[in-house]
Amino acid sequence: MKRVLIGAVAALALGTGAALADGYPSKEIQGVIQWGAGGSTDTVMRSVTPHAEKTLGGTVVMQNMTGGVGAIALNSVASKPADGYTLLMGAENPLLYKVMGLGQKDYSDFTPVDILARGTAVLVARPGVPFDDYKSMIAYIKAHPDEVRFGATGPGGLPSVVTAMMDSVEGKLPVISVPYDGDGPALTALQGGAIDVMPAVLGAALESIRAGKMKPLAVFEEKPNPLLPKVPAVVSFNEDYAKYLPWGPFFGVFVKKGTPEDIVTKLSDAYKAGAESPDFQKLMDGRGYTIMNISGPEAEDFLSKWQSNTTWLLQDAGLTKASPEKFGIPKPGN
Amino acid sequence: MEHLMAFLMIFTHPELLMLVAVGTFAGVYVGAIPGLSVTMAASILISFTFSWDVYPALALMVGIYMGGVYGGSRTAILLNIPGAPSAIATAMDGYPMAQRGEAGTAIGITTTMSFFGGFVGILVLALAAPWVSEFALKFQPRDYMLLAVLGIFLVGSLSQGSLTKGILAGALGIAIGSVGRDPLTFAERFTFNMPLMEPGISFIAVMIGMFGVSEALLQLHHVGQPAIKQKITRIVPSWSTIRKHLPLSLQTSSIGVIIGALPGTGGDIAALMAYDHAKRVTKKPSRPFGQGAIEGLVAPETANNAAVGGAFIPMMTLGIPGDAVTAIMIGALYIHGLNPGPMLMVEQPNMFWFIVGALVMANFFMLIFGLTGIKLFTKIVAMPRPVLIPLIMLLSIVGAYAVNNSITDVYWMLGFGIFGYMMRHYGYPLGPVILGVILSRLLDDNWRRAIISERGDLGRFFGGLFSSPLSTVLLLAVIAIFVSQTPIWRWIKTKLFGRNSRSLEP
Amino acid sequence: MSTHIDPDQHDGTSDATPGGYEKQRRPGEAIFALFMLLASLGLLWSAYGIAGFSSLSSPGAIPMATTAVMVIAAATVLIQTVKRPRVPGETFVKNILPGVVVLFVALLVCYGALLEPLGFLPTSAIFLVIAFKVLWRRNWLVTLGVAAFSLLLIWLIFRIVFTVLIPEGVVPEAEIIQFFRNLLSGGAA
Repeated sequence: MKRVLIGAVAALALGTGAALADGYPSKEIQGVIQWGAGGSTDTVMRSVTPHAEKTLGGTVVMQNMTGGVGAIALNSVASKPADGYTLLMGAENPLLYKVMGLGQKDYSDFTPVDILARGTAVLVARPGVPFDDYKSMIAYIKAHPDEVRFGATGPGGLPSVVTAMMDSVEGKLPVISVPYDGDGPALTALQGGAIDVMPAVLGAALESIRAGKMKPLAVFEEKPNPLLPKVPAVVSFNEDYAKYLPWGPFFGVFVKKGTPEDIVTKLSDAYKAGAESPDFQKLMDGRGYTIMNISGPEAEDFLSKWQSNTTWLLQDAGLTKASPEKFGIPKPGN
Repeated sequence: MEHLMAFLMIFTHPELLMLVAVGTFAGVYVGAIPGLSVTMAASILISFTFSWDVYPALALMVGIYMGGVYGGSRTAILLNIPGAPSAIATAMDGYPMAQRGEAGTAIGITTTMSFFGGFVGILVLALAAPWVSEFALKFQPRDYMLLAVLGIFLVGSLSQGSLTKGILAGALGIAIGSVGRDPLTFAERFTFNMPLMEPGISFIAVMIGMFGVSEALLQLHHVGQPAIKQKITRIVPSWSTIRKHLPLSLQTSSIGVIIGALPGTGGDIAALMAYDHAKRVTKKPSRPFGQGAIEGLVAPETANNAAVGGAFIPMMTLGIPGDAVTAIMIGALYIHGLNPGPMLMVEQPNMFWFIVGALVMANFFMLIFGLTGIKLFTKIVAMPRPVLIPLIMLLSIVGAYAVNNSITDVYWMLGFGIFGYMMRHYGYPLGPVILGVILSRLLDDNWRRAIISERGDLGRFFGGLFSSPLSTVLLLAVIAIFVSQTPIWRWIKTKLFGRNSRSLEP
Repeated sequence: MSTHIDPDQHDGTSDATPGGYEKQRRPGEAIFALFMLLASLGLLWSAYGIAGFSSLSSPGAIPMATTAVMVIAAATVLIQTVKRPRVPGETFVKNILPGVVVLFVALLVCYGALLEPLGFLPTSAIFLVIAFKVLWRRNWLVTLGVAAFSLLLIWLIFRIVFTVLIPEGVVPEAEIIQFFRNLLSGGAA
């Protein structure tokens, strides 16, 4: 009886991955998620992977490995053999590790399996602030220096990049930057009035915006987002933003560089199919993410462009520990 | 009427009822094993229940959550190893009871009181969620900081021997909590330029080491002695016992709900604060605290289960997680196509009432499973020590590894195990170390936020303390507790009331 | 029979009743207190190195405050400890670190070192067998049986149910699991 029970539990826990007669995957695959349980990377990966498993015909066991802004997970996967049995499920942060002095490795040591989706940045304010859109906010900040409190999530986080963009377009803005350890706690603080303005990813703020608990000031896109059609794109206030856009945090699945090409292709096909599933598409649309679903050279190209844009932006804002030049990251437009 | 139907949904669907039961049962065991956490279980359930309907998935998670918070007390009582951080205070009086052969009584009280606390939490969630969440949002960084300072004063309650050693241990805990890259600025703190220090020291690894491994090493001294015979004649506590502790359990449940509802604090802090509260208000405990006082079990166990209902309050009303488990549930709601946020209660009140119903059922199942499986559990203590000790060590190792899949955590766990063993021998209390680690981030992050928000100006910071009633009340509480714990109070009291009042000193 | 807390142990059997003596000093206690003071001083120096006295909101502010408290507390403890007389009749080797504890500390350190290269299953099996053999002194059959059973149980809970990827080292765990999975899905089909 006991053995039957254990067997049943085992079967349930493992899922019913169909067996493949030949080649990859001949055993379960480990998926290392760079961020903690319940975070947006976690949610995205745990919802796309079961769909990908169907095409792959194998099991992907997912683990959260947190710490060092995701560098712990990245270094751990990089230390495993390049056989396609360890996947890195990450976000955009590693592209900034080198310039931020957080690590010596980044996605250039990996091959992208699939860049799944990209987020949109939105600038939100608490309802009580005396400005209603981006333009009046800039005017207010300039008239009241060192008064408006901006939420931040540490150097290299989305708020720091958005703030750097604003500084470079509008000139250095005199605001107080209050650090939080993630956009969730910062948005909570915004609703409680501890901070006034927060650059956040649209998905995290969407529901509170709809409920009128936060005031959207502008979306950081060239055109308004279909989920918030009334919120103007930041380009409509200042055209200089166009050179940085589209920009946004992204989620992707990676394997270590040197993984055999047919395995990468097999994984890419699986995740591509997974990302095309209606369930996943609905989830991403609902949270305001733009599905990218790219792989191969297209994904490589996206990564290097993203890195060059963002690192140089941060470099010019004086937020980096080391110049992108040192790591051979070209200036955008060169 | 429709709400009533949603609330009753769980009762009318046997399969949902079954899932809550399975979840609660699994939760008790997950909670009891140090290193297996409800957070882990819930995040695995996300991919596991991916293809299910949303109601069954939530039923299972709610059960695991309720059972898990309770389960941590089991190993705390029987082995002096808290299965979860929220059971640290439970070990203080639960283990001495088990040492007297009263493990059955201790578990009985713990179970009934967890049920009571859980129920208070659910009641507040059902009746007052919008108001509580509004109140919780009012907490500014400076208020969180004051709360952390209040928490630090618990060192006094947790240090039975020398207070100086307790303060040393507490400060060490705060320092341990700040090791690694600072999450706000990425500055390296106490890393000594070693990459392995960068992720910091896992708080669970410290806890498992200090309580698990050091306990196992200590038990080696007594390896030849026979196991303690447990009498398990009376498990369900008498009505008079329950009635006697009703006022205390109502107070500690309230502490639990509020601390649980604050985004950023959870059941662990709630349980410790409740324990401290019990020590403060109980004039005549059944036995001295630390030697098996019933009040020392009542307080933390009501509080940590009340915190469950509390944690759902900001989640259901605002889409803000009250703790790590509710954060995962928010993710689960997203995956199932719902949009947790301020509109959820407006657009889908049924979801809210379904969760309330599931919590009620989970609470009842917790009571049932808690009171029935005791014989099997007490067998654990009856195991021969030569078998038990190596198994505790092995479980501690796997548990420490499981927290973050990191071998470094295993090294930390072993290091703190040996260190904790030495500390115990020389009369340094371990509770304050864990307290310090729990409160470290709360104190440090919010202090800096508060100061930065006031442009680094101390004058403005103190002005802020008096501009909000909430901050003022918290500040007064901090001052009151500080004064009452130091000799100044005794001095004032003797001056004012003469010598006789000394006898009133606790 | 220890149906009550043995007041003579002084080893902090419960955290609520810490070990040590109120009026006396145990063997090694002064050295431990000195170690705590030196460690506190080291940490204070390290905390100063984070950001110096740059600002109240620097990442080093709270660490400096706490380590300063540690130094003061540790110094007080050291002075109090040194003043007390030694506990008569206790020796470090007999009461604080007896041979069996040293042996287990060594076993645990070896375990930690071998876990990654050798893998969880073999390391734990060796550890359990040695530990049971040393403490329990039963015959090989019982020792091996209990060790195998408990190890299997722990492995099933952590590796299969909770999918914790414990280092597999030399044992091809993933292949074995896949084999069973194929069997199961083969049986189901």
